Amino acid sequence: MANRTDPAATSIRGTNPQNLVEKIVRSKIYQNTYWKEQCFGLTAETLVDKAMELDHIGGTYGGNRKPTPFMCLVMKMLQIQPEKDIVVEFIKNDDYKYVRILGAFYLRLTGTDTDVYRYLEPLYNDYRKLRQKSPDGNFSLTHVDEVIDELLTRDYSCDIALPRIKKRWTLESLGALDPRKSVLEDDFEEEEEKEENEQDGLEDEPTHEKDYYRARSPARERERDRRHGSLRYRDRDYDKDRDYDRDRGRGRDRDRDRERDRDRDRDRDRYRPRDEKEYGRERERDREREGRERDRRDKDRSRRRSRSRSRDRKRHARGSTSPRRHEPEDGSTREETKKEKKEKREKKEKKDDGTDHPDPEIAEANRIRASLGLKPLKL
Amino acid sequence: MIEVVLNDRLGKKVRVKCNDDDTIGDLKKLVAAQTGTRADKIRIQKWYTVYKDHITLKDYEIHDGMGLELYYN
Repeated sequence: MANRTDPAATSIRGTNPQNLVEKIVRSKIYQNTYWKEQCFGLTAETLVDKAMELDHIGGTYGGNRKPTPFMCLVMKMLQIQPEKDIVVEFIKNDDYKYVRILGAFYLRLTGTDTDVYRYLEPLYNDYRKLRQKSPDGNFSLTHVDEVIDELLTRDYSCDIALPRIKKRWTLESLGALDPRKSVLEDDFEEEEEKEENEQDGLEDEPTHEKDYYRARSPARERERDRRHGSLRYRDRDYDKDRDYDRDRGRGRDRDRDRERDRDRDRDRDRYRPRDEKEYGRERERDREREGRERDRRDKDRSRRRSRSRSRDRKRHARGSTSPRRHEPEDGSTREETKKEKKEKREKKEKKDDGTDHPDPEIAEANRIRASLGLKPLKL
Repeated sequence: MIEVVLNDRLGKKVRVKCNDDDTIGDLKKLVAAQTGTRADKIRIQKWYTVYKDHITLKDYEIHDGMGLELYYN
């Protein structure tokens, strides 16, 4: 039972720390030669030597998914559970970048949310290159800050599902974490100062006023820092969210669509009284505009999801009667032209997407393929 | 379009519609979409040949209705 966890180790997230590595990867590590030869009987001190010899990071590679030495050492750390001070020393050391990443990875797996942010964020300023072994066995180039970013923002790294941590924003609003200070802060500060000076010179204010601006109590300064810092940080964070959090982005898009719809409704409402007054003149133009709008709306809708025809038609009927309830006679003709247009559009779509195939199974398959970015099925 | 059957012999057996010029990587993504297992945790093989991600089904001579072995890693 050489692969037992240290009996003195505390359980992490309610379970044996070794369980943070999935079962299959874990058994692959236990079978690995590096593990058997080099990692046997390591202690927190001797582990440092092994960590210094590392020359790449990565999860598993090759056809039979061999684990990298990096993964073996992470596993060893989970097994012997070194003290937190030692892990922090790993992260703080400047000479060995792979030791640093090893410590960061271990802390990300086992540390509390605030610790993870507190100790890992300073590493955003480490731009050294790292070698990374990709699953196909090739090496690729990455950097320390990229790896740290992955650890802080993703939930999966090096073939290991990382435990969930709270978003930085949440921790900040709870007060558990101070706003992040960028290294560029000082540069911005200088820039700002310069601008302020220029403005002072231009405006030629009375002296006591200027003193008031100039004389900064530390409290004021701190307040200002916080304001600027947090603002700047927020902006950047949202950007990042937009990149990473695809689902949320999509949700927002849908919101925007809905908003547009509402706007359109409001437009229509606004037009109604005028329609009644100067009806003849506006009629043609209005109808054209509406037709175009409906086209656009329909296209949107059918792009989002191809619905059954009957439901579509019902909706059209309602859509066409609601804006002008007082003249039902020309509704039928317009209905027909619309249908024709719709059919034409369907034909066009069949060529490029294939999600409206008569066979629902194939349509479904094509929908999945479209969402994965693959070509539609050939028939 | 062809249909292949992937069986892990642990209770999961999926039929996947695909083109014969899809790569194994694409097939893994489709299987992942159907089963909910991450695509990079899936291994497709036949006997002892582990299929590689960048090679197409056509080149492995995978035809309609063929069965493949589904493993996880």
